[in-house]
Amino acid sequence: MRVYQCEDSLEGVSTAIYRAYEEHAEHRETWIRVDRELMLFGEYIPVETDLERAEKVLRTLRRRFGQEDYQSLCMALVTPHPEKAQAVYQTVVYGLQARPLPGHLLDHQTDSRVLQTYQLSKKAGREYSQLRQFMRFRELQRGILYAENQFTNHVLPYLMVHFADRFPQEDFAIRDIGRGVLGMHPAGGEWYLTDSLELQAALTKAGYSAREMAYEELFCWFCHKIAIRERRNIGLQNQMMPKRFQKYTIEFSKSS
Amino acid sequence: MDTLSTTEGKVNIPVLSQETDNTRILAPGAVRDGSPMSLMEKLGILTDSAKYDVACTSSGVDRKGNGRDLGNCVKAGICHSFSSDGRCISLLKILMTNECIYDCKYCINRKSNDVPRATFTPEEICTLTIEFYRRNYIEGLFLSSGIVESPARTMELIYRTLYLLRNRYRFNGYVHVKAIPGAPPELIQMTGFLADRMSVNLELPTAEGLRELAPNKHRRNILTPMRQIQNGIQVNRHDLAVYRQAPSFVAGGQSTQMIIGATGESDYQILNVAESLYQRFELKRVFYSAFVRVNEDKSLPALPGGPPLQREHRLYQADWLLRFYGFQAEELLDESRPFFNVMLDPKEDWAVRHLEQFPVEVNRAPYERLLRVPGIGVKSAKRIVAARRSARLRFEDLRRIGVVLKRALYFITCGGRMMYPTKLEENYIVRNLTNEKDRVQFGSDGMTYQQMSLFDDGRYSLPTEPDTVYRAVSGQL
Repeated sequence: MRVYQCEDSLEGVSTAIYRAYEEHAEHRETWIRVDRELMLFGEYIPVETDLERAEKVLRTLRRRFGQEDYQSLCMALVTPHPEKAQAVYQTVVYGLQARPLPGHLLDHQTDSRVLQTYQLSKKAGREYSQLRQFMRFRELQRGILYAENQFTNHVLPYLMVHFADRFPQEDFAIRDIGRGVLGMHPAGGEWYLTDSLELQAALTKAGYSAREMAYEELFCWFCHKIAIRERRNIGLQNQMMPKRFQKYTIEFSKSS
Repeated sequence: MDTLSTTEGKVNIPVLSQETDNTRILAPGAVRDGSPMSLMEKLGILTDSAKYDVACTSSGVDRKGNGRDLGNCVKAGICHSFSSDGRCISLLKILMTNECIYDCKYCINRKSNDVPRATFTPEEICTLTIEFYRRNYIEGLFLSSGIVESPARTMELIYRTLYLLRNRYRFNGYVHVKAIPGAPPELIQMTGFLADRMSVNLELPTAEGLRELAPNKHRRNILTPMRQIQNGIQVNRHDLAVYRQAPSFVAGGQSTQMIIGATGESDYQILNVAESLYQRFELKRVFYSAFVRVNEDKSLPALPGGPPLQREHRLYQADWLLRFYGFQAEELLDESRPFFNVMLDPKEDWAVRHLEQFPVEVNRAPYERLLRVPGIGVKSAKRIVAARRSARLRFEDLRRIGVVLKRALYFITCGGRMMYPTKLEENYIVRNLTNEKDRVQFGSDGMTYQQMSLFDDGRYSLPTEPDTVYRAVSGQL
C-alpha cells in the first residue's frame, strides 16, 4: 500500500494526486495523507508541493467537474478531518472514471467517498456562512477594522474574499486565534495572509478608537429594543446562534 | 427637484466625535432636561416603534462589490444576529419617525397614544447604517415611517434619505423601504430605483377588517402602489434584458405583511389572500405577524394566551407549501375546514387525508410527487432525483441524503418495500406522527382520532412521583 504524505494545503493535495496518476498507482490501494499518522504495511512517499503540477490538476478538476463541484472539493480540504485528502482523492478518481456531467459529481452520494467529501464540504461551508454572519469588527485607532474568532475549519481565505469584496476601501484584519494566522486587507489593495506575531501585536497595541465604544453601545441598545417581549424565546435564539459564536459578538458578550 | 436641494452641498455627518461621545449618548432611562435628544434615545424609541414589522430579510439580490463603494449583496441574505425573541436581525430596522397622523387601533404609534416621539434626520440614519455595516452588525437598512404631515411628505423624506445613502455615503448594501400608500407614484418610482426591496403593508387580510381597525387606510390605496411596483419590476426586467447597464428597479422584489388574529378571519381566508397576492401581484414574500395587543381598545381581541404564535407558524408552513411545493390553497383548507390542524403540520395533514396517493416509490416517483411526501423537503427531493440517476437508493441512503424518515416512512417505499411493516391507515399514522407529549394532551380532553379505550386516559402516562413510591412502601397510601 502506497501512502503519499503531502502538505496540508490545496496545492499539496493536488500535487499528491498528480504524483499518484503519474506513477500509475493502483488507486484502491493508495492513500494520500496530510498528517503524520503511520499505517500498517504502508510504503511512505513524501510529496514536495509543486505549484505547476498542482495547477494542472486543479485546471482538470475545474474543467471536468464544473466550478461548483470544484469549489466543494476545495472546501472539503479546509476541514481538520484526518482523512479529508483521501476522501477528495478517491472522489476525484471516482469522478474521472464515472464521467458525470459538470456540476453533478457530488450527486453520486451512494458512493461512500463522494458522500464523505460532500459532508466535509458542507461542514466547512456551514462554518463559513456562520462566520460571515457572526463575525464582528471593532475599530482600532487610525480606523482599522479588526475581528478575531476561533475557526474550526481553515475558512479564513474564503472570509477574506467575502469581506474584501464588501469593504474594498477599508483597512481591515481578521485573526484566526487557533491557527495564529492573520488576514490583512489594505484599503484599495489585495488581501494576504500572514503569521507574523509582531504584526499581530502591533495591530492591537494602540487599542480601540474613541467612537468604537459608542457604536457598540448603540448596537447593543438596538438589539435590546428590537426584541418583542411577548414573543420571548431564548431557546430559539440559542438554536439560531450557537453559543460558540456568541462569545465573539459584542451584543452577547456585553449584555452578559 | 426643489425638495432635493438639501442633499447638495456639504453634509454634516453627525459622527460621534471624541469630544462629544459621552455627552451625546445618554444612558437608557436617564433623565433629560430640555436638551436635544441623543442618538441613543432616538434609536431606542424608533427601534421600539419599528419592531412589530416582521420582514427582516436581506435576500433576493446578488450584487458584487464594485471595488469603490461600501457593501455588496448576497442572494440568500445574511442574518447577523438573533434577538431574544428568536427573530433574526439582518437589517437596521427603524422608523424614520414615529409621529403619525393616522389612528390605526392596533398600532403602538397611533396618534391618540401618549408615547415618546422622535424623528431621525436623514444624516443620522445614513451614519448609523454605514457605521453598523462596516462592523458587520447588519446587512443593510430597513426604513419605514409613521405618516408625518401627509403620505407624500413622508415618502419624500424616505426618498431623500435613500438618495443621500446611495449617492453621498456611497452605500452599496441592501436597502428595504416601505412604499407609503397614497404617496405620488413618481416618488415611489424614484425610490424604487434606489431600493433593493419595497413593501406595502396589507395590514389586515380583508377590507372589512381594515375598515374596522384602520379607519384612515383603504384597501384600494394599499393595492395601487403594490400594482405600480409590480409593473415597474416587469418593465425593468425588459429594460435589463435590452440594456445590461440599465438601473435596476426593486431588484429583490416586493413583499407585504398581514396581522394575524386581530380580526376574525379564518386561516382559509388568509391563505387565499396570500395566494392571490403571489399570483396576481407577483410578490416575493407575504409575512404574517401574530397580533400583539399593545393598545387598550375595545375593538381589539383580548389574548390571554399571548400572541397566536402557533397559528402564525402553521401559516408560514402553508405559505412555503404554496411557494415551493406546488400546493394550492384549496388543497390545504376549504370552507368546511377553515383552520389548520394544531397537531399536524399542513403537509402531514394533507397527506393523511390523501392516503390514496401513497405510498410513493422513491426510486421512480417524479419530483413533484416526492415533494408532497412529509419528511422530504425541496433539498432532499432534489438530491434524491440527482442521486437515483447513478444508483438505486436504499433507506440508509435516504437518511444520509437528509430525508426525515421518522415522518416519511409511512408514505414511501424503496425498491417496492416499506421501511417497517406499517399500516396505511389514517388513525395509525396520525397516532405515530404526533409525539408522545402531544398525544397525552390531545387524548385527555376527550378529542381523539380514534375510539377511546380504558387505557387512553392521559393520567395513566404520568410519571410516578418519588414521594408516592415512598408512601406506597410505608403503607400510607
